[in-house]
Amino acid sequence: MSLYFGIPILLIAAVLQSVLLESVQILGGRPDLVLLLVVTWAIIRGANEGAAWGFTGGIFCDLLSGGTFGLWTLALTAVGFLAGQPWVHALGPTIIRLALMSALGTLFGHGLLLGAMALLGYSVNLARDVQTVAGPAALLNFLLSPFTFTFLVWFHKRSQPRWGGQGE
Amino acid sequence: MRRENGQWLPWVLLVVALLFLILVEAGAFGPLESLLGYIISPVERGVSTVIELLGGLGQSARDVQQLQQQVEDLQRANATLIQENFRLREFKAENDELRRKLNFVQDNPTYSYVGADVVEYGCGIFPCATVVGEDTNPYLQYVIINAGSRNGVAVGMPVVTSGAALVGRVARVSRNLAYVQLINNPQSQVAAMLQESRITGMVVGTTEGTLTMIDILPDEKVLGGETIITSATGGLLPRGLILGQVESVTYLESDLFQRAAIRPAIDFRRLETVLVITDFPRVNLEELEGAP
Repeated sequence: MSLYFGIPILLIAAVLQSVLLESVQILGGRPDLVLLLVVTWAIIRGANEGAAWGFTGGIFCDLLSGGTFGLWTLALTAVGFLAGQPWVHALGPTIIRLALMSALGTLFGHGLLLGAMALLGYSVNLARDVQTVAGPAALLNFLLSPFTFTFLVWFHKRSQPRWGGQGE
Repeated sequence: MRRENGQWLPWVLLVVALLFLILVEAGAFGPLESLLGYIISPVERGVSTVIELLGGLGQSARDVQQLQQQVEDLQRANATLIQENFRLREFKAENDELRRKLNFVQDNPTYSYVGADVVEYGCGIFPCATVVGEDTNPYLQYVIINAGSRNGVAVGMPVVTSGAALVGRVARVSRNLAYVQLINNPQSQVAAMLQESRITGMVVGTTEGTLTMIDILPDEKVLGGETIITSATGGLLPRGLILGQVESVTYLESDLFQRAAIRPAIDFRRLETVLVITDFPRVNLEELEGAP
């Protein structure tokens, strides 16, 4: 399990998301750093570790949110699980499926988050939220995915000496 | 890529995440959440400090810094004067109201009177806090401040800027941090009134992050530019905290009430320091209900 370095990475990412990225506007939105790290790690290491990173990152995001505790944990665990599924390998070379899953995972994660919020009684304006928050976040995560991949592969190589199998 | 031997772990984690939601909704999650809060709050404060320091390095020219300081001082002074002006207008309106009451008393000397306020408020202990972060959930309007239960902050307490403009109310508290639900949050509702005309209504947040005053009776004449303050109805907030100014008023024949778009008194994206009102005199509703 990779959580011994995953915990500090996800914790710092969640804090950066709270203190820095929330005030940043790029292309009309802002990237979702923790979600991007979870998707990337799930692509690299599979569903088990993806879900574990999603669960951990979700707890950190929930601790930095005034919303109901568990919203982010549920959404990111599901995203990590989804992005690590074997069928994702059919989407093409690693960098392509990473970019695709970053965008799809962001939309899926935000969709789950909004659905859970709606079930819990929060006011949700789906069309506006997708247009102004989830859509731009998906685009930015799509563009940023090669950078997080390079960053996390570095950790992966150090925690997984046999890296390089299966044509990667 | 690594092969998965079994995929029981993600299912377990998903169930645990769902349990979190259920436990929170059932109100049985507080102690564990507080424990987790101990871990993250010092890290957040540390990172926040580092980011502030790094931001300052970008401005190396001394004169630029001095000019920036002067602009900030002037902006702060301007904001203080505007808000002071709001307060003085509130005192004037209150004075006019009292004068009208006094005239009524003088015109009717045979009556007996008991003076009373709807809700009064006074000075409490105001923990000053810095906004250290914003909500990681982009669909919620919350800010995180570095004052928590150890500073006497509790759920429901009003949070204001230095000029008595209402920022929001404390929604969650950990030992070192508090999560403030901004008044432009769609879940936020504040009993309000117009400062000059004393017309009452409710100020609510919207999903677009704006403010709207609803429940204004259709025969009331609302003027653009009038200041909106808290009315203290319900006793949850002190009276006279500034919410904003009327921007426009709409009334559809099919609606029962008018609604007014509000220009907020503060820029919610630029909050730096706030005050938490930990105590203010409230009407004791139990006493009133028990009175003969």
